[in-house]
Amino acid sequence: MDRETVSKVARVARLKLTDEEIEQYAADLEDIISAFSVLDEAPATDEYDLGPVKVEDVLREDVVSRDSDPAELREGMKTKNDWVRGPRLS
Amino acid sequence: MTTFPTVDGLRALDEKHLIFCERLEDPLAFEQGQFHFSAKDNLCARDFQARAGSRVLKGYRPPFDATPIRRLKEIGGLLIGKTNMDEFGFGTFSTNSGFGIPRNPFDPERSCGGSSGGAAAAAALIPEHLALGVSTGGSISCPASFCGVVGLTPTYGRVSRWGLIDYGNSLDKVGLLTRTARDLERYLPVISGPDPKDPTSQAQPVLSMKGEVTSVAVPTEALADLSPEVTAAFGEALKELERNGVKVMEVTIPSLRYAIPAYYILATSEASTNLARYCGMRFGVMNQEFDQGFNDFFAQTRSEDFGPEAKRRILLGTFSRMVGFRNRYYIKALQVRQLIIREYNKVFEDCDAVLTPTMPFIAPRFDEIARMKPLEMYQADFLTVPPNLAGMPHVSLPCGYSGGMPIGMQAVGPQWAEGSLVSFARSWEESFHFRFPEVRA
Repeated sequence: MDRETVSKVARVARLKLTDEEIEQYAADLEDIISAFSVLDEAPATDEYDLGPVKVEDVLREDVVSRDSDPAELREGMKTKNDWVRGPRLS
Repeated sequence: MTTFPTVDGLRALDEKHLIFCERLEDPLAFEQGQFHFSAKDNLCARDFQARAGSRVLKGYRPPFDATPIRRLKEIGGLLIGKTNMDEFGFGTFSTNSGFGIPRNPFDPERSCGGSSGGAAAAAALIPEHLALGVSTGGSISCPASFCGVVGLTPTYGRVSRWGLIDYGNSLDKVGLLTRTARDLERYLPVISGPDPKDPTSQAQPVLSMKGEVTSVAVPTEALADLSPEVTAAFGEALKELERNGVKVMEVTIPSLRYAIPAYYILATSEASTNLARYCGMRFGVMNQEFDQGFNDFFAQTRSEDFGPEAKRRILLGTFSRMVGFRNRYYIKALQVRQLIIREYNKVFEDCDAVLTPTMPFIAPRFDEIARMKPLEMYQADFLTVPPNLAGMPHVSLPCGYSGGMPIGMQAVGPQWAEGSLVSFARSWEESFHFRFPEVRA
């Protein structure tokens, strides 16, 4: 794993890394990914699932209810006229 | 009937435990029939901040109780505090917390284990205490082993995850750490059961506390790379089990060698998407520099407040999901998980549980941990990761002591067979004497 790949992945993940961090993570991830290449030896199958147990859809009655008060959920957030504030879009 | 533990030792150990002390010492706090419990800091509760060991969540006060916490409160549980942990559960030694490092009650120079390190310390130190922990890849078993307590990780989906701060959604499980197996019997039924707020809890069969373990299988793959003291203690434990009439057989589970890479690929893939929500405008630390552009605004909080291991796992997970690598890593890891489940189930045709030591060594000293590379730390989880990846219930029990430090063994049962594991734990504690730390003021 080279520095360029680490920088690219960091950009995708919205992380700004220092030069030292890039250096360190490139070395760590190289170690980790090399060791993990043992996965290439595992038998491939078409059988896979996203979780370890079967999850069935269980539907509830369609009754209107409110779990949390939106005002409580907004507490601690920066708001303006009950709208959550965020950065500029461009 | 609740007894009031002595708290001088707790206070002496670390002043951060004062919140626990205050609540435990308050004679008005407990009414008849009440009991005290703590929650790992990634479980939300109205009473305290929920920071999950991360500076990024500093100041976050949830306006709700996680389902397992609500259920314990409903039967008279008093939440006395939140316990320290590796940031978002990312660690084996609880050294990756943004808020100090919990120390092992048997030897403060050593780790409590992780990531539910604070929970295991609380369970070891406070008599009759119930500590809620969370395991993604071994975060209940490991600290239970290092701190000499009982740690139960239920089947994936048995306990609602509503109100839990996600690490890996297909892996996270809420469980229990206590001094005695009797408490597992008492409290597992309370926190278990379907919850409409967590769809993965909805398809579970009814919890049965019946069942027993009359035969155990020991995979040969688990016996390599153990420290001599763990090998010796585990060997003695097997002999004791045989004296108690439990049949012990040796088996091989070849797919176990793929468990660590498969687990770390899946866990970090899921974590890297879950952590996208921490961007400085919804929970915890709030970025106020609204004039910044979109990407700079989000990157600022994440870069300043995630710890080094969180960044490492975000990078690994993001990489594993990128175009060109997704099939080689992520999809392959999903296939390996099913392979491991099939191999476990094959073994369960002939025995009731798979038994191994819990950790390959006793709790390491902090100077030893500082010299470990990240890959070495990941590989230390080779005994606790397989059942977690496979969603199988497991229990860690003290099975020996070396130089005063506890050693644990881990029994894994088939999915949904928690009852037989609890019964196994109860019979074991009848024949093996557990020791608890003595901390003096």
